[in-house]
Amino acid sequence: MTAESAKAFEALEGQARDLVALFGRAGYEFVAPAILQPAGVFLDQIGEQVRARSYVFSDLAGEELCLRPDLTVPVSRLYLERHPRAGEEARYCYNGPAFRFQPLGPSTMHPREFRQAGVECFGASDKAAADVEVLLLAVEAVRSAGLSDFRLCFGDIALFYALIDALNLPERWRLKLRHYFWRPPSFHALLDKLAKGERIAPNGLVTALCEQLAGKSQAEAEDVVSTYLQAEGIPVAGNRTLREIAARLLDQTADLYANTLPKEVATVIDYYLAVSAQPREAVEQIVMIARGAGLDIGDALGVVARRCDLLEAAGVDLAAATFSTEFGRKLEYYSGFVFQIEAPGMGETEPVAGGGRYDNLLTALGAPCAVPAVGSAIHTERLLAAVGRASS
Amino acid sequence: MSTPSLVIAVPSKGRLKEKAAALFEAAGYTLRVRGHERGYRGQLDGLPDVAVEYTSAAEIVHQLRAGRVHLGITGEDLVRETVHDVDGRIDFLAPLGFGHADVVVAVPECWLDVSRMADLEDVAEQFARSHGRGLRVATKYTNLTRRFFAQKGVTGYRIVESVGATEATPAMGTSELIVDITSTGTTLKANHLKVLEDGLILRSQAQLLAAKGVGWDARANELKATILGALSA
Repeated sequence: MTAESAKAFEALEGQARDLVALFGRAGYEFVAPAILQPAGVFLDQIGEQVRARSYVFSDLAGEELCLRPDLTVPVSRLYLERHPRAGEEARYCYNGPAFRFQPLGPSTMHPREFRQAGVECFGASDKAAADVEVLLLAVEAVRSAGLSDFRLCFGDIALFYALIDALNLPERWRLKLRHYFWRPPSFHALLDKLAKGERIAPNGLVTALCEQLAGKSQAEAEDVVSTYLQAEGIPVAGNRTLREIAARLLDQTADLYANTLPKEVATVIDYYLAVSAQPREAVEQIVMIARGAGLDIGDALGVVARRCDLLEAAGVDLAAATFSTEFGRKLEYYSGFVFQIEAPGMGETEPVAGGGRYDNLLTALGAPCAVPAVGSAIHTERLLAAVGRASS
Repeated sequence: MSTPSLVIAVPSKGRLKEKAAALFEAAGYTLRVRGHERGYRGQLDGLPDVAVEYTSAAEIVHQLRAGRVHLGITGEDLVRETVHDVDGRIDFLAPLGFGHADVVVAVPECWLDVSRMADLEDVAEQFARSHGRGLRVATKYTNLTRRFFAQKGVTGYRIVESVGATEATPAMGTSELIVDITSTGTTLKANHLKVLEDGLILRSQAQLLAAKGVGWDARANELKATILGALSA
């Protein structure tokens, strides 16, 4: 139902008008960012998995463009165009098409052209309050469209980062775990290696270089690498610098000579990522895991608890919600609170609405300073279908 | 000429064309261009009801996929890259022993810290920290690349399409690494690139291929057996 019939189109338009009116009353200004986006800027942020599903093409002047696969990046770019210094608070809402190639062919639940209606809140300094404001607005929106039976699911990326920070790990492992978090299969392979105490054995050349690099500083390492390259007649070519190559060789040296990481580290991460329960209960479980491992992640947990308080005070029934530590691992720009709203009979890969906090995206798009940002989008075709199912 | 019983598409230029012609010649079915020398139709001596279509190696893949020809000769790399549902569309009848080329992942030789696919994800993480973006992989094999990288668990990259001089893009700064074909490795070496130890995506060569989505009557099957027998002898 991609607005391909007149009737479906009118029904979607009617629903969208109501949603946008509701967002407007809540203080969100209506914006309509460009549908055609520069592919480079956009897709560098979103990763090859979404790129593989984006409609990317070159125009007659050779510029690489894409049909936007979502609206968060276009609305963020619009915010930066209006506020290049990124200092202001702004609230925007939108309703418009987004496009994704569907490898199994387009279907009602997975259309290739769909309409997103949503909100983005930039620059609000009380993050927990803004998180809750955006979530409540999404809840009110699906309710006002006629969906009364739905399920809320949350997660919090910042809590995972806090756990990694609190663990006793060398910094190179921390960076690695943060990066691999977004790539669940590689992440689990890495944890598995950790748990078994396996070393990652480099090849002969690296091993030989590591012997020379043991105990060396970054500057000394660069000298060793530079001398080797000159002797072999290999030029330093490309965007990756000698500094980067030497730094990674030093990491490999450290991995080769350091003690392997304690198995407990892998176990704690495994336990943490298995938590999925009613939010208050989930917080309790995480407190137990942290206490058991002697880790202090009280601040990050405090944020989760405060969010729960605010939601309950606003009348959200937390007993019917789920907090899952694994949740939100798909879109790399999320940095904190993440959530989705699921309708009965629709799977977790088919949420009617979803959103979260993405505090790092605007700097990646060129903002001169960090901009706290949180937003949510409603998949309007699914919402209409869910309302239709519930009433029939 | 009446409607042919079987249509075979062969490359219209370059080494593939010469090698295919030599193969038919050796088998006793000389390939002849009909009309003037640059024509796009031909026939096989001794098999009058076979029509030969000269067309580009890439176009042959589309013709086979769409079932517009019965047989075709082209590189396996192009078939695997272009046809998503290859098993349902095309039969690989026989490798022909020419047009050898390996599709490989290659990185700058100066990346002393990198020797395997597993290194790329770590490099992607480091590169994103210092350059604010993922690695760029230049290639014309976008689908083969995506599938291979996914299988190896590498995700922190982005493909930039490149149709010529791919091996020069890392030094020019428009990519960090490449996926390209190599036969002897000389071009890669000249551009100071090295192939990763487990970076072989496909060992390709010219193949005799049959379309599944085309009418195969008794005579067409007979001709297919004759040509297959002659070429793989």
